[in-house]
Amino acid sequence: MSRSTRTLDDAVRQLMQEAWNLSREDGRAAAQLDHLYGRLQEPVHLAVVGPARSGKSTVVNGLIGDQIAPLPLGDGHDVVTRYADGPQPRVTARTADGAARELATTRSAHGLRMDPRTTRRSAITELRVTWPARSLRHINLVDTPGTDADDGHHAPVEHVTGEADAILYASQEIRTTDLQTLQTAQHGAVATAAPVNTVIVLTHADEIGGGRIDALLTARQLARRHQRDPAIAAMCTGVVAYGGLVALAGRTLSDADFTAVAAIAAAPRETQDACLMSADRFAGDDGPLPVDPDVRRRLLHRLGIHGVRLATTLARTGCATRAELAAELIRRSGLAELREVINGCFVERRTILKARTALAGLERLAGRLPGQDGVHLRARVEQLLATAHDFRELRLLAAMRSGQVAFTGDAGTEAHRLLGGNGTDAAVRLGAEHELSGGELWDLTADALHRWQQHAEDPRLGLHQRRAATAVVRSCEGMLVALGDG
Amino acid sequence: MIAPIWLDVLDETARLSAAHGRTDLVESVQQKRTQLLDPRLRVVVVGEPKQGKSQLINGLLNAPACPVGDELTTVLPTIVTHADTPTVTLVHTPPVRNRHGGAIAEADRTALPVDQVAAAVGGKLGGHPGAAHVEIGLPRALLGSGIVLIDTPGLDVLDPAQLDALTAFARADIVLVASDVNSELSPSEISTIGHLAQSHARVVLVLTKIDMSPRWRDVTEQSRRRLAAIGVRPAVIPVSADLRLRAAGSNDSTVNAESGFPTLLARLNTDRAAKTDELARAAVGQLTRTVIEQLAAPLRTEPPEAEPAPAPGPISRLHEAQRTVDELRRCSVRWQHTLNDEMADLLSDLEYDLRDRTRKILRKVDEVFDKADPLSDWHTFAQWLDENLLEADEANHGWMLQRFDVIGRRVAEHFLAYGYPDDTAPRWSPTSRDHLTENVPLMEQPHVERFTYAQKFFTGLRGSYGGILIFGLATSLAGMPLINPVSLGAGALFGGKTVLDESRALLKRRQATVKAASQRHVDDFFLLVSKDCRDMVRQLQRLLRDHYTALTEQLQQQIVESLRRAKLAADADVAERDQQMRQLAVLQEQARRLAATPTGTTAGTRA
Repeated sequence: MSRSTRTLDDAVRQLMQEAWNLSREDGRAAAQLDHLYGRLQEPVHLAVVGPARSGKSTVVNGLIGDQIAPLPLGDGHDVVTRYADGPQPRVTARTADGAARELATTRSAHGLRMDPRTTRRSAITELRVTWPARSLRHINLVDTPGTDADDGHHAPVEHVTGEADAILYASQEIRTTDLQTLQTAQHGAVATAAPVNTVIVLTHADEIGGGRIDALLTARQLARRHQRDPAIAAMCTGVVAYGGLVALAGRTLSDADFTAVAAIAAAPRETQDACLMSADRFAGDDGPLPVDPDVRRRLLHRLGIHGVRLATTLARTGCATRAELAAELIRRSGLAELREVINGCFVERRTILKARTALAGLERLAGRLPGQDGVHLRARVEQLLATAHDFRELRLLAAMRSGQVAFTGDAGTEAHRLLGGNGTDAAVRLGAEHELSGGELWDLTADALHRWQQHAEDPRLGLHQRRAATAVVRSCEGMLVALGDG
Repeated sequence: MIAPIWLDVLDETARLSAAHGRTDLVESVQQKRTQLLDPRLRVVVVGEPKQGKSQLINGLLNAPACPVGDELTTVLPTIVTHADTPTVTLVHTPPVRNRHGGAIAEADRTALPVDQVAAAVGGKLGGHPGAAHVEIGLPRALLGSGIVLIDTPGLDVLDPAQLDALTAFARADIVLVASDVNSELSPSEISTIGHLAQSHARVVLVLTKIDMSPRWRDVTEQSRRRLAAIGVRPAVIPVSADLRLRAAGSNDSTVNAESGFPTLLARLNTDRAAKTDELARAAVGQLTRTVIEQLAAPLRTEPPEAEPAPAPGPISRLHEAQRTVDELRRCSVRWQHTLNDEMADLLSDLEYDLRDRTRKILRKVDEVFDKADPLSDWHTFAQWLDENLLEADEANHGWMLQRFDVIGRRVAEHFLAYGYPDDTAPRWSPTSRDHLTENVPLMEQPHVERFTYAQKFFTGLRGSYGGILIFGLATSLAGMPLINPVSLGAGALFGGKTVLDESRALLKRRQATVKAASQRHVDDFFLLVSKDCRDMVRQLQRLLRDHYTALTEQLQQQIVESLRRAKLAADADVAERDQQMRQLAVLQEQARRLAATPTGTTAGTRA
């Protein structure tokens, strides 16, 4: 953790202390502060949002590495479901009045199932799942019902996006309605000052172009193109293509699955082609494939027809073991990329994301405090937002992504990197390719500092560009200080 | 060829719309007429983005006519028609219907090389700003048989207006709604289909990409159920363009059958063959229903009582006239009250005024004759009194005239609302007041006693007698004769005194007489003048009353006349509306029969 982020964390804690002093009389405000303080200690809360059937649960499952989501209630409704790391698989239901009870669950091939009788016609508003998973150590996942559900489930989703530290927006393709949804999620002084905490996930990437073998590659190119679109870039820090079913299949591929895939791959090419032409043919009872129809149907359900095509092609062209096939599936699914982005954008920036959430909470609290106290608290929040360099970096990055500030040539890329657009580690910021010693890093940083000092005073640049350059200089200085400390 | 029966219904619809002054409806009916007379079947494909719309068209044609791809999105509507050689044309402005003549402005067309079709449809062709749509001509048998396929850009948000514009542009006979079978029907897709089914006789839901979904049968069933729940039962046809194209590559008829396209093609061919009959009848039935709905809506929403119509319809004019008559009646009561009250006030005021003036004169007379001797000042006095009385009368009269003016205006105010300015009070010339001066008798000098010298002498003698006697007797005591200088002097003194006293008493008596006479005279005068005044006021009142009564009657007559006219017009209007409703009902019945008649019997009835 660099020095600047530590100071930001300290500043937020200090501000919370002040708020605590101001609102000691008010029971509700105190409870709210307690909650906010608790959140500071917790891992990053990552909300998975998106239209109905856009693959939110597949994203959650892929990240956890197990078939869990979705967990529909007895009457078929989805509710907000929070996933956290824990020693035992356990599901707790919460109702609107705050009561909690543990639910009995069973595991099936389709995931975790709750007894529908216990959850039907109940006022359950939230489920909490604890699950032993390494990937949940640094993030808590929040699965939400679809944003376009027409049964009045908007409010909880908006509440969740307002409260979450970061958002994964799952969508099959990026439409203007999606961008509008994202835009409405950003309101309040804090959201404006620390703009985006969203990554868009193009789910169903494996289905693009009719589920061809190279669908995922195409999807990746598509994601990159979307990311260059200023209208989209203004709303998110990144666009990732992700083949949910393939990823999950890769993570949960069993030996039986592999045997079946290998058997199919071993069949004559014409038979394969004819059978893989459509889902119907593949799952048909009297197909010429040397695999039991039930096994085929299970494979189809878990992988999708495109997944089966991909897996058989991979098995035919070199993946001779289960582990190899699983690894290759995961590699192709874009899961690794998704994790990398989550890591780079959310986990590494957890201090600033936490600070953002805490400040947003304090801003809401300030609205509730009476008279001068509220005004004072709001002013302190705004002061911190305006002065903390971390927020300034975020704002500048957002401005550069949306094209409001642009540097010509390599300068733009370098500024993006130095501001921490790719990651906040000193080496990443400097674009150093391999492990360097402290001294070399120091030299590189000093170089960059010097260069950007010149940019900051370059009369040929516009006012916005010079200001941006000043911010980059400040980032370099921060790195120097951190390196000096180290 | 005998014109089919639906054409008659359509023309009747157009005629009725024109009779109702709905040129917009006429235009849409005419457009429909042109479209239905065109033997080609226009098939438009709509849907959300990335549902496989372009690929659906390619599947229908069995050829990659419309460019598809992961990075390609159809931006411009694409019309695929038959042509002997493949052509691609970029059309700039949509054919604009000339407002007056109905002529169609020629669109700007640019022929393009065939290999640029992808860029053209994707809207990425440089140098062609404002391009409206792309036309592709292909030598395919399906197109040659008279089917036109229209690909549209995906609609992010399926809003009805945009959709209507799109289908109107395409002049669609059949709307194919493409939806990816891998995701269930979204709420917006369902509402879209519901909306389209209202304005189009044939809507088909095509579920695409069934090769990728193991559960497409479930989704198909579910889609049917969900649409039936909102009262729409379109044909639902699941297809796979991938299988179709693959079948074309390998010439495999089983795969072709699995792709679902034969069903869809059969459907389109049936519809094309039936276009001029069954489909046209269904379309005309639907259009006529829509038009009748629109025409009947204003007729139904005009019940006579319910509506305070902003536009002055005959019914509302009738009401207005009735209201005016009532108002006039109230007004006439009001002005009569005003007139009576004002006149009574005027009378009492005038009398008081006259009384006041004459009393002032009398007081002055009293004052004067406390001192003056009527004998010496009579002439001046008589003149003064006469002048003063006349002056009082003049003032009183003038005031009356003023008041009368005011009253006239006040009454006239009631008629302001009827457009009569407040100076309509009858011009009235004051009658000559000469008769008054003639009638007032000049004041006769009252009979007063004069103190003549003879009387004075005798009175003096009488007085001096006492003086002489008293002093003569007194001085006789002193030895003086009875008549001596002293007694003579005293006698003279006494005599003088008596004369003086007598003269004073006489003056007083004279003054009293004159005062009484004046009083009488003024009373006479007052009586005369006030009588005259009353007469005049009554005369004026009558004048005003007659004038305004006449005015009221005239107004009433006008209103009654307009009332009668309004009633006539309203009756005519109601009759006309009934007539229109009957016409609409007839048309509706025709449309219903048209939609219900099976194919065979129309030929029979026509013959």
